Amino acid sequence: MDDLYLENIDEFVNDHNKIVTYKWLSLTLGVHVNQAKQMLFHYLDQKRKESSGSQLHATYLVSGKVAANGSMSHKVAVVREDQLEDVKSKMDITVSIHVYSIQKAVLKDSGPLYSTDYDAVKENLKNCCKYSAIRCAGADPLPSDVPRQSQEIAPVAPLEMEAKKSVVNGGTAAANKGAAKQQKGIMGMFNKSTSKTPESSKEVKMEENEDTATETTKSKPALKVHNFFGKPATSKAGTSSEKSRKTIKEEAVGSQTSHLAVEEPSTSPLTAEIKEEEAKSSNAAGKKHNEGKSNKMKRLEQCDSDDEKFESRKKKRRRIKKPQLSSSDDEVIADSPAAPDAEAPTPSPESKVKEEPFIQTKVNSEGKRRKRRRVIKPRTFVDEDGCMVTEKGFESESYSESDDDFKVNKQPLKEPGASKAIFRKNEEENKSQKRATAAAGKAAKQASIMGFFVKK
Amino acid sequence: MFSDLAVRKEGTLLCPPGSEGPLFERVRPDYASCTERFRVGERSFNRQYAHIYATRLMQMRGILIARAKQTWGAGVLVRRLCDLKVGEQCCIVGTLFKNMELQPSILKEISEEHNLLPQPPRAKYISQSDELILEDELQRIKLEGNIDMPEFVTGSVIAVLGAENNDGIFTVEAFSMADLPQQHPRLPLTSDRFVLLASGLGLGLGGSGADSLLSLQLLVDMVSGQLGDQGEQSGAARICRVLLAGNLLSHSTQDRDSVNKAKYLTKKTQAGSVEAIRLLDEVLVQLVASVPVDVMPGQFDPSNYTLPQQPLHRCMFPLSTAYPTLQLVTNPYQADIDGVRFLGTSGQNVKDVVKYSSMDSHLDVLERTLRLRHLAPTAPDTLGCYPFYQSDPFIIEECPHVYFSGNAPSYQAKRITGLDGQDVLLVSVPEFSSTHTACLVNVRTLECEPIVFSSFSPEDEEENDMNVSH
Repeated sequence: MDDLYLENIDEFVNDHNKIVTYKWLSLTLGVHVNQAKQMLFHYLDQKRKESSGSQLHATYLVSGKVAANGSMSHKVAVVREDQLEDVKSKMDITVSIHVYSIQKAVLKDSGPLYSTDYDAVKENLKNCCKYSAIRCAGADPLPSDVPRQSQEIAPVAPLEMEAKKSVVNGGTAAANKGAAKQQKGIMGMFNKSTSKTPESSKEVKMEENEDTATETTKSKPALKVHNFFGKPATSKAGTSSEKSRKTIKEEAVGSQTSHLAVEEPSTSPLTAEIKEEEAKSSNAAGKKHNEGKSNKMKRLEQCDSDDEKFESRKKKRRRIKKPQLSSSDDEVIADSPAAPDAEAPTPSPESKVKEEPFIQTKVNSEGKRRKRRRVIKPRTFVDEDGCMVTEKGFESESYSESDDDFKVNKQPLKEPGASKAIFRKNEEENKSQKRATAAAGKAAKQASIMGFFVKK
Repeated sequence: MFSDLAVRKEGTLLCPPGSEGPLFERVRPDYASCTERFRVGERSFNRQYAHIYATRLMQMRGILIARAKQTWGAGVLVRRLCDLKVGEQCCIVGTLFKNMELQPSILKEISEEHNLLPQPPRAKYISQSDELILEDELQRIKLEGNIDMPEFVTGSVIAVLGAENNDGIFTVEAFSMADLPQQHPRLPLTSDRFVLLASGLGLGLGGSGADSLLSLQLLVDMVSGQLGDQGEQSGAARICRVLLAGNLLSHSTQDRDSVNKAKYLTKKTQAGSVEAIRLLDEVLVQLVASVPVDVMPGQFDPSNYTLPQQPLHRCMFPLSTAYPTLQLVTNPYQADIDGVRFLGTSGQNVKDVVKYSSMDSHLDVLERTLRLRHLAPTAPDTLGCYPFYQSDPFIIEECPHVYFSGNAPSYQAKRITGLDGQDVLLVSVPEFSSTHTACLVNVRTLECEPIVFSSFSPEDEEENDMNVSH
């Protein structure tokens, strides 16, 4: 056993100014706890003998039997060095004494000791008892079972069905979430409209739940779901865009965007939509919006008849939507931007289709719930003719879970069914959700100049 | 005692590192859980609560009559209330009802003619003017005489010997409780095995500072064998099970204000219990990696309010449920560990009896409930419980060897014996967040020892308090 550890402890204590507890040392150096304790003692001893001037303070752990209120009790205490002898003398039997920690500064209270141990344990949760003196035979963690994953499938499915985002709102400052949402919407549309097998979607979900960035070039549905859930969509275009669902947590989206622009022409509307979505996600910063739009345009041109069918379907849907929306002021104004754009041969009309705010849960390691939702916000950009256009579109916004409970309640309302029926439902929900975000909507309404265009 | 066990070897840790550290095997006990009676499946609250009392009396009547004949002779007359004759000495069996003036009554509160403000919560609701009434299946009669009124609570089933007088009041000469039920004899064990009982960890915002969290960390380290010298570690390897008896979260995590506040104020806030449960999960994962743990819900934990509390849901503990050693159990909890029957609650039943009787010591209340053969006599009167109708699961049918209740203000333990030779260890487990004390029960000898964890803080310089902690 070489004495390298002495230098290590020296480094930790003096250079990094850390509080070195036996547990932290044991986990850091990967040694048995008793050895760690002995190492600490050795180091302390050596330093004291050297008396090189650097003051070291230590805390000890004392445990033993004490008489308390007429009965015996076992006491375990962490004490400072100066209290050690005192505490020892009060014990009838001393069971164990060892060094608990070494640090440069004098500790007034034991809070920092706890935080050091807490950090050490937090990093090593899986093997926190690896170096302890007791081994328990029955305590082996089970591998994560499929049953637990299957619970994830259930909530995903209704979400899929609900979110019918056919159109990518190019201008939305989409984080990955936005893209994922819309991809989900696309998936939903895909399931209903083209009535491709639900099995494929399920199979796709299963793949998603396999939880690895499996870049399987499976069927397109599979592809889509991979994108949909934000898994790396390498199979799509050979690009390794790291859109993992977990990256919902990350706000920084823009990275993968531009490669997605180079998409192979797909023969299915979904692919197109997903590309659009990816383009949408690429517009996270909003700067790339034009590029995205032009990309979309390109892509749309590349699309074959299926896409047109899809678009016509979308247009049909839009038409269905409009009468429903006309009842509310918000929707009228929001609709009007859609109307003129419908004529324009740009993909931007798709962006005007209302999508219900899609809520996704973002769970980070602290267990907080931050969700993203889509709200209508005005967006100003220069379009291809060199004209400044302000239009309203859905943008992703982060908010926390207690907000807008009723939105969440609406999610279960949606069930797989006729696409139109669901679309209508979605419209109604959109309406109500719009009412919920009336403030934002109204603000956008006031700022918009689209009224001008409508008159024309 | 644990300390004696642990001190066998000499201290080895105040020296330079030597050989590889020792590795002790955790003892594995035989474990059988008997909590099916406390599981509530399909819950329907459409029933009246009166059925519990009916079935309680029905189940206890036979036992009490046998006990009465045993105490007062086989020739004692046992009468129903409807057959009572004035002046005739007889024995009647029924459920007690204590009529308390100060008992909060919702009818009084909402009644407009009284114009009462809601009563503030009190420590005790007893007063001098209370009355004891005995009820059987059909009638009720007031009791007076040789009966200690302040000590009894509503819902206890007893037998009284006496006579009815002219006023229609029954004058009590003596009373008898059901006393301890039958007990299975304990199998003799060859070696010492320990079960650690702890309760009231009180995790969560405001519940415990870093100091008290350090004590909890010391507990976890000691049990998992990281703390202490070899002797202590080998002693800790004999701890075969850990029982956490409720109140794992602190009271402050139950923030009811968020319901009343406006949405825009509470938009970004998160319930206090979310962070606390995460902390609990991290503590548990360290424990379950090394020892089987039973977790009971308590008054402030995210479980249902009515007794019997159902186990906490496993989805709250993503890290710990990976280990098969974690057991989420009901409150009350009953299990056979190495042939020793453990029965206990998280303390709600005991605290409720303390509120409505003159008894203060949790240990005395424990004894009283055991002798009454009922875990929670005040349920459903003042303690919330599920409307059972077929049988009352709180009746103690088999005498436990260790009977505990959690979240007591201080540690107390006692050994009692029953009329038929039963031998029971009563333990009132103290609240860890305030006392930093846990209990270690030796299942071989049925002895209990408290373990106190302490750390240092600025005000300890002069004190050096060796007893219960800071």
